Amino acid sequence: MEKLIEIRDMCKIYNPGENEVRALDHVNLDVYEGELVAIIGHSGSGKSTLMNMLGCLDVPTIGQYCLHGMDVSSLSDNDLSEIRNLEIGFIFQGFNLISNLTAMGNVELPLIYRGVGKAERTRLAYEALCMVGLEKRLDHKPSEMSGGQQQRVAIARAIAARPPVILADEPTGNLDSSSTKEIMGILRQLHSEGRTVIIITHDDDIAEQAKRIIRIMDGKIVEDIINENYQENYLEQKESGKDA
Amino acid sequence: MAQLLEYIKMALANIKANKGRSILTMLGIIIGISSVITIMAVGDGFEKEMNDQLNSMAGGQLYVYAGDEASNNEDYMNNDDMDAVESEIAGVTGTSPDYADYGTVLTPKGSFDLVLRGGGTAQQEVSALEMVGGRFYNQSDISTGNRVCVIKKNDAIKAFGTDDVLGMNLEVTLYNITIDLTIIGVSQDKNSDSMLFGYNTDRISLEMPYTTFESFGWETTDSIYGFYITTDGTLPSKEVADNTLKLLRDRHHAQTEDYYLLQDFNDQLATVNNTMGMITGFISLVAGISLLVGGIGVMNIMLVSVTERTREIGIRKSLGAKTGSIMLQFLAESAIIACIGGLIGVALGLLMAHGICSLPMLGFAPGVKVSTILLATLFSSGIGIFFGIYPARKAAKLSPIEALRRN
Ligand SMILES: Nc1ncnc2c1ncn2[C@@H]1O[C@H](COP(=O)(O)OP(=O)(O)OP(=O)(O)O)[C@@H](O)[C@H]1O
Ligand SMILES: [Mg+2]
Repeated sequence: MEKLIEIRDMCKIYNPGENEVRALDHVNLDVYEGELVAIIGHSGSGKSTLMNMLGCLDVPTIGQYCLHGMDVSSLSDNDLSEIRNLEIGFIFQGFNLISNLTAMGNVELPLIYRGVGKAERTRLAYEALCMVGLEKRLDHKPSEMSGGQQQRVAIARAIAARPPVILADEPTGNLDSSSTKEIMGILRQLHSEGRTVIIITHDDDIAEQAKRIIRIMDGKIVEDIINENYQENYLEQKESGKDA
Repeated sequence: MAQLLEYIKMALANIKANKGRSILTMLGIIIGISSVITIMAVGDGFEKEMNDQLNSMAGGQLYVYAGDEASNNEDYMNNDDMDAVESEIAGVTGTSPDYADYGTVLTPKGSFDLVLRGGGTAQQEVSALEMVGGRFYNQSDISTGNRVCVIKKNDAIKAFGTDDVLGMNLEVTLYNITIDLTIIGVSQDKNSDSMLFGYNTDRISLEMPYTTFESFGWETTDSIYGFYITTDGTLPSKEVADNTLKLLRDRHHAQTEDYYLLQDFNDQLATVNNTMGMITGFISLVAGISLLVGGIGVMNIMLVSVTERTREIGIRKSLGAKTGSIMLQFLAESAIIACIGGLIGVALGLLMAHGICSLPMLGFAPGVKVSTILLATLFSSGIGIFFGIYPARKAAKLSPIEALRRN
């Protein structure tokens, strides 16, 4: 598998000088194509900051970030927009849907900016919404949907344009256990289709479902292990285990 | 380019989502554009009306008359002077003293008050008449003082119940002298819609050679206070005027420049047009200022909108919107608001112009030019784009992460 992400000595320092916060502190990280990674850490440990870096939303204070072997720290705003559009599907902590657009409208957004024509766009967005089980909620606005449904719209939006990398920041943050299960199922399915999926969480149960677990604390990577308990059909196993 | 359509759709959706605010923003543009359109339409209509009026009055184009000194000396002009001007001055096509007096006329339909006008070779043009039957009186009618006349078509119908009146006689009484005039022509006004002079009366008016007044005992050929001169337009009227005055001074051995004076209707026309232009210009300036204020209103609302929608902008950018995409979306929004405002303004302006122009004391058609409407619409969109640039840039330049962090 090709190396997808290569982070060298990355620091993100907020408010340099007095009151400075080292949200990322000399982070080194390699992620290969097709991996299913969980980044776990306590609140305030720098997970979201790291995801913003991975997603080319923010630039590091020091250090280097190569995506597909290309150093992105030197790219212009517009180039970064293009990379985000083509390479990355974001699922944000807090859904970040546009409130006056319908589910369909929200899912179509990345496709619009990619320049996909109306017919193709509608088809892809519909497919994505079907995949997350929202084919009955196409014309609903975010305010007319439950939290779990909104999160699924956000997932549909991230996967509609079929980007090779999915970045999910607390995708199950405020959902009940059955919604959590559904959403984890979708993410694992995306992974099994060959996409690189990076899930950020503070929940060990969620992290347990990934192949590789990276623990982050105070902006530093303190642990980076292969999950020995990982099973392709984790959910089913757990279900049957319960029943027995 | 296909993308542009998407941005326009986004903009429209957003305008619809903020209906009340969008309409209030449009109001500034609506007021500005509608006042510009009203002023232009009323102004152009008035100018056109004035021109028609003056043109019909200015059929004679030049009017020469005795100055103070000549008047004091009672050194008026005579028919020989008129003939000399007509034959010696290049570019002159006719002359007429345009006499008029009131009498009565007896017709098969009864007796009517009469306006009797006596003119020279230029009279048809001076009175702005066109013939619908027969002929106008000519040079030989004038030199012999023939008892002929030309009647207006509607007067003929009043007098005879028909306009087939050629060769008929009218019994005309003036200064207690009654004479039969033979109708040789039927005419009508060239500018029949004329507002100030086209009023309908019970009077009948007749045109006859000015020399025919002599049949009523009025000595017309000697002391002519002033007369009209028509020109063929080949020479500048200034030149014709100067030559005429010089000839008259020579003929009367006058010493002073202003012995005879001359009124040039072309000058008056130009003066009226100038004044109108200045008035329209000034009011347009005021309207322009209100448009500017409207534009600033658009900018203000767009700035508010950008601030309100910072998060939306952040989401769009994080999903791959480029600086240009955001910029276009916001520009499209301000341009559409201003353009719709402009269109409503045009409609409202035309309505107001019609309202004003149909007021009883005015009563002329507003002058509506397609170019004005097109220009107003383009201009209002331009305002939207111009005043939208700053907010749109502000939106487009937001860093996605900063924008997402804000509420
Ligand atoms: N814009 C900012 N300015 C200053 N400090 C910031 C900023 N953003 C984040 N931080 C700080 O950086 C640290 C890491 O924040 P981050 O959002 O990455 O945490 P997190 O691991 O995602 O936490 P959570 O699980 O609560 O989402 C925190 O201490 C936070 O206070
Ligand atoms: Mg976070």
